[in-house]
Amino acid sequence: MLSPSSVGSPDDPKSMYSHPQNNVYRSGDKTSPISVILVSSGSRGNKLLFRFPFQRAAECPSSLSGKKRNPYALNTTGEVLEDQDGDSREQSPLTDEQLVAGFSDIILATILATKSDMCGKKFELKIDNVRFVGHPTFLQHSPIIQLSKTDPSPKREMPTMILFNVVFALRANADPSVISCMHNLSRRIAIALQHEERRCQYLTREAKLMLAVQDEITTVTESGCPQSPFRQILPKCKLARDLKEAYDSLCTTGVVRLHINNWLEVSFCLPHKIHRIGGNYIPPEALERSLKAISRPYHALLLLESEKALLSQLPLDCSPAMVRLIKTCSAVKNLQQLAQDADLALLQIFQIAAHLVYWGKAIIIYPLCENNVYMLSPHANISLYSPLAEQFSQQFSGHNLPSMLAKFSLPVSLAEFRSPLEALAQEAQLIQMVVWMLQHRLLIQLHTYVCLLIPPGEDEPGLKEEELPLAARVGGRSLSTPSALSFGSPTSSDDMTLTSPSMENSSAELVAGGDSPLNKRMTETLLTSLSEHERQVILSIPAAQSPEDLRMFARLLHYFRGHHHLEEIMYNENMRRSQLKTLFDKFRSVLVVTNHEDPVISIFQSPMD
Amino acid sequence: MATRIECIFFSEFHPTLGPKITYQVPEEYISRELFDTVQVYIITKPELQNKLITVTAMDKKLIGCPVCIEHKKYSRNALLFNLGFVCDAQTNTCALEPIVKKLSGYLTTLELESGFISKEESKHKLIPIMSTLLEDLNATGACTLPIDDANTIHLKLIQLRKDPPIVQEYDVPVFTHCKDLYIKSQWDLTTQQILPYIDGFRHIQKISAEADVELNLVRIAVQNLLYYGVVTLVSIFQYSNVYCTTPKVQSLIDDKSIQEECLGYVTKHGQKRASLRDVFQLYCGLSPGTTVRDLCSRYSQQLHRVDERRLIQFGLMKSLIRRLQKYPVKVIRDERSRPPRLYTGCHSYDEICCKTGISYKELDERLENDPNIVVCWK
Repeated sequence: MLSPSSVGSPDDPKSMYSHPQNNVYRSGDKTSPISVILVSSGSRGNKLLFRFPFQRAAECPSSLSGKKRNPYALNTTGEVLEDQDGDSREQSPLTDEQLVAGFSDIILATILATKSDMCGKKFELKIDNVRFVGHPTFLQHSPIIQLSKTDPSPKREMPTMILFNVVFALRANADPSVISCMHNLSRRIAIALQHEERRCQYLTREAKLMLAVQDEITTVTESGCPQSPFRQILPKCKLARDLKEAYDSLCTTGVVRLHINNWLEVSFCLPHKIHRIGGNYIPPEALERSLKAISRPYHALLLLESEKALLSQLPLDCSPAMVRLIKTCSAVKNLQQLAQDADLALLQIFQIAAHLVYWGKAIIIYPLCENNVYMLSPHANISLYSPLAEQFSQQFSGHNLPSMLAKFSLPVSLAEFRSPLEALAQEAQLIQMVVWMLQHRLLIQLHTYVCLLIPPGEDEPGLKEEELPLAARVGGRSLSTPSALSFGSPTSSDDMTLTSPSMENSSAELVAGGDSPLNKRMTETLLTSLSEHERQVILSIPAAQSPEDLRMFARLLHYFRGHHHLEEIMYNENMRRSQLKTLFDKFRSVLVVTNHEDPVISIFQSPMD
Repeated sequence: MATRIECIFFSEFHPTLGPKITYQVPEEYISRELFDTVQVYIITKPELQNKLITVTAMDKKLIGCPVCIEHKKYSRNALLFNLGFVCDAQTNTCALEPIVKKLSGYLTTLELESGFISKEESKHKLIPIMSTLLEDLNATGACTLPIDDANTIHLKLIQLRKDPPIVQEYDVPVFTHCKDLYIKSQWDLTTQQILPYIDGFRHIQKISAEADVELNLVRIAVQNLLYYGVVTLVSIFQYSNVYCTTPKVQSLIDDKSIQEECLGYVTKHGQKRASLRDVFQLYCGLSPGTTVRDLCSRYSQQLHRVDERRLIQFGLMKSLIRRLQKYPVKVIRDERSRPPRLYTGCHSYDEICCKTGISYKELDERLENDPNIVVCWK
């Protein structure tokens, strides 16, 4: 259907709905904040300490009035069309600045410096098209000792701050997960500030500086053009610069790294900014699913940047386990092997992998091997002029991306690319190209899934309709799924119980070889989940006459419900591909086989689905 | 997700007591504490008047629109009030916003016309009004109440849906439910004119030609139907098409309701119901490199009771299968020739054929012999 690459022009007259692209052009990203504001409440009342961006209009109104208005120009800025239904849907293209600039400093101080009851919790306030989110924090001060009651001079009475609030203003229609992330950042900054306040009254000192500059500027503005006091605050206050930096980073890279008071580090990432494919950001549900997908030991972790680049981005005090993992990680190694090589528990590997996925530094794939079958992803950008095509030709000179992609139009295994005449170097380059294409989400891997479906009996067709197919009946036997990592806090994994699949489900207890009564009984037990008719049909297959084949079939029966691919069965049951393929062939009259991508990790290659 | 209103309140600025809640339905829902915390957002400074304000506090969400009417006749020269809703903090309240705004407009008009709020006797009528509102909006999402002889309030909760994608001329609309469910006279004239041509096989360009409606109007009308979930879009059907399964195909096995729906939909008219196994085998028989024609010849036995066109249609509607489209890309060209307009990898065969009027076969022949062009399937 419609691929993200087919773009309607922003003012497409053929659509009466504002196409999402419109919003990007006119009024800024839905994932970026519009403004950052710091307010406090204390003995001096509610104060707005700092806001960014500054109100431009406040700076020099004379220049605005000087502009000659074209009598034919449509007055589209700032005009809010009154929809008769009171529809709050956006009608006019108000720029982001205008949305928040409309709020004066005083009113912001009043509404954002909340009462103490609201402290320590998420603060969310929506006014028309703007949403404010923050985390008001209470500051406890040791009582001020008044040395002399008869000398209440101002310098003895230190103005005390009772609470403060770091607030981000967003567009009202921002996604709830973006709002949640902004709240998270606000809380982190608040924790750092609270700590520094207790330690050395950092916040009080900065606030004093900010208010002093504001007072100074207001006295100056009696004469001459008013200036924004906040512009003057910037060079004087580290905290103001930190807040500005946070805002700028959120609007651009989505990665925030601050050092509050040059001491405490606050780091944060907005997944919505860093996980992008083409021009579109990956929806938050997709991110959540990505984290949940880190659950199978037979998958592999593919880094999206070079090892060197990643290591250089890590802070000095990062976990050594992370460093080890990055160094030992490889596209051909599955997570189980990675755990062994890096000398870490599998659970830890899952956690670190989740962290890397959250920060957009890695994805999950099936480990590379020659039997892997790849095909073009339906979301791949195959345009001749895409930036990807450019990058590809730079990296692999002499090759162009569309030609390479055309080779994957039909599912093809890596083995097929190999020819005896080709040099090893070319083979290595092919692997590199495939890895590059996987990293840029251009390819999907196809796996074989098999489902048991017995042909209905001629004599009892009615009964067949009512009976649920095997899949629905053989429920409840879950295989190796450590449960979800919650979004937003990739390190919380209280319920990550790892069940070793092979112990629970492989019927290793079946004695290999021999037609012992024990084995026969086992086989019979395994087949009891089938109806009488189904059992008859299976037993009448010529291959079922071989007890070994029948035993293998019975043992693997619970995989034949279309949810476990060939490689998974191979891993769990320690079998070879050829063994399985032969078995499928022998029992093909009751099995239906199909190939498609693995839904567990398809989210990494097709996040828009 | 249902938007449940827990409480409706009417708050005003009392000349001596200050901001207070005059009425609330049900009574005692908003505690003294809660009101103290949020009153600054309910009876607000002038800068915030007439704005829709939603504040979350103490696990509750309050939505209101503060109104201020200035006149010498009021003590303090102004009347300040706010009729708002209270919901649980987790509720998505977007649908309630237009209603709150509208109510504030109604009350303002009533006050200006007949002093509805400033007079005690008429103000008291607010309580039954608020009760009815609460009940009706929660029960049916709509409310029509006469206030007095001259005025009636009409309110409706409108759930905002996601913007639908742009409809292209090569897309095929198909009804998601039986088309007889829809009362034709409720739709606009353009839609009524094209409705008989929507059969799940005609694409937009064809509908436009046969219904004699301008192409862009058809696109907009179908986009509107898409928004309300009346139709969904699939691709043009041809026997030369190639499809492949998606992981969702397994839902045919797992989900009994989809099974039932499918078997009912794809069975040939007048035939005994097709078996699940046959249908599943057919879907699984679709793979890259296999055309529908190939499928028909390979699985002729399974197709005795199955209509292959409806099979494909159902599969696309429920995303059990997806279409593999061909995209030509001109990779080699000499410097002097013009840059490719359609062979850039952004336009599928469907689109090119629709726009240029040439047939699939012709396009295939043209491109197959061109060494400068590669074709990608996706």
